[in-house]
Amino acid sequence: MKICNVKTKYVASRIFHKLFLGRSEVIIITFVVIFLSLSITSDAFAMHIAEGILPLKWALIWYGVAIPFISYGIWKLKTKAKIDLSFKPLVGLLAAVVFIISCMPVPVPTAGTCSHPAGTGITAIILGPAISSVVASVALFIQALFLAHGGISTLGANIVSMGIIGSIAGYAAFRFLQTFRAPLFISGFFAGLLADWATYLMTSFELAAGIRGDSPLFDLMIQIIIAFMPTQIPLGILEGLMTAGVVVLLYKKRPDLLVKLMVLKQREVKI
Amino acid sequence: MHLLLGEFKKEHILFSFDARIKILVSIFSLILTISYNGFIFPLLILSLCTAYFISIRVPLRTILIRYSEPLFISSVLLLLKFFFSGKESLFSLDLKLFTLVGYKDGFIDGLILALRILSGVSIIIALELSTPFTEIMASLSWFRIPKTFIEIMMFTYRYIFVLLEDAIVIYNSQKNRLGYSSFKVSLSSFSTLVGTLIIKAFDHSQKTTTAMMLRGYDGKMPFLGHSKFKKKEIIASVVFMIALILLWKI
Repeated sequence: MKICNVKTKYVASRIFHKLFLGRSEVIIITFVVIFLSLSITSDAFAMHIAEGILPLKWALIWYGVAIPFISYGIWKLKTKAKIDLSFKPLVGLLAAVVFIISCMPVPVPTAGTCSHPAGTGITAIILGPAISSVVASVALFIQALFLAHGGISTLGANIVSMGIIGSIAGYAAFRFLQTFRAPLFISGFFAGLLADWATYLMTSFELAAGIRGDSPLFDLMIQIIIAFMPTQIPLGILEGLMTAGVVVLLYKKRPDLLVKLMVLKQREVKI
Repeated sequence: MHLLLGEFKKEHILFSFDARIKILVSIFSLILTISYNGFIFPLLILSLCTAYFISIRVPLRTILIRYSEPLFISSVLLLLKFFFSGKESLFSLDLKLFTLVGYKDGFIDGLILALRILSGVSIIIALELSTPFTEIMASLSWFRIPKTFIEIMMFTYRYIFVLLEDAIVIYNSQKNRLGYSSFKVSLSSFSTLVGTLIIKAFDHSQKTTTAMMLRGYDGKMPFLGHSKFKKKEIIASVVFMIALILLWKI
């Protein structure tokens, strides 16, 4: 009976081993599950490069890339403010809106986590890419200083990805679709979607370039893209839907504002 | 949003220091941190900043919230470096579908990166906790940052609180009218909230401009003036920076 028991146990353990995983694999999987659970409980602040990630060389390179664009944006802002004194307060207030919406957690169902919209798509549509990049840089600076989202050493990189590339992608998508007289909802959706995804891709490139060491740049970039995919793919779609909703709301409630800021022409709206 | 309005003891010696010196020292420390390739210096900076936070009695919750994002990102990067970057294999596991390899040099690189992130963040938190926003802005204008950019930041900082109150009122009223009750409704409610905030931003900007013009606003905002640098503060900060360089070279 005893022998039978031992034999049964042995056979059972072999079957268990064949059907299931070994101890080391169980340990690894437990570790991954714990890590994922920890990540899920906190917000997924995916697309701001945190303070200190980029080495000095790359931090300076991204500042160098950002400065000409921001200077152009400031020059454009100053020119517009000379004609309309309320323009500077307006840009400041829109930056405050971007700051607030980027602090609002949005549930991302596929990742089972929360993330936040960038708001670049909507500011690019309303203010154009140059001034939108200034708005993004102001919001990023305040976030880095007060909330530790992003960082001062990585501010240049974050401005390039979110402020410049995101704004250009969002604005280009909106204008391109508007030339083909696409419905406002569709144009707004693709502006938000592409602004978010372009930011995501650019940030992945910046991260990969900054931390790769001896690893191949492209391989690491793909790994980063895959790591953030569960959050960023649905978030881009959500940001697109949000941007579309906002543009349609502005069109219905205050079309005069869209005309004033030259988003739409007078003949395109019924005031 | 209480994170923007720190509630802690504001009697530390650093509060009285010139904001320009604090910004310079912080940027200098940040440059040393991100250009260092090892454990000692970032650990030292992290310990110094933690000691400072304890001495000014910053609530633990505030610190934990501020570190939550850097901690999350540094963990992801540590794992990425550990499993996908390196040459010297530490262990290898056959997981049926793929082989998981942990690299020793990747782990060390990841740990250095994680420490760099945490110490960099602690420097900026220390600067922010010891300097009022208006003083930081005034100092930035002294460093020749374009005034238009600083003006926009001043407007933004001022109106974050105003618009946040509006956002809370709109959110509560949406919730009372069954907003955010399902995923689809949540999306529609959120778009309405953002759209309404933008409309409010337009309206506030018009009212603010009118009010400021009545007080003589001509498109330029005045900033805080600067007092002369104090010798004691300059000497203290130079000694501190030299000490940092010596530690950095170890």
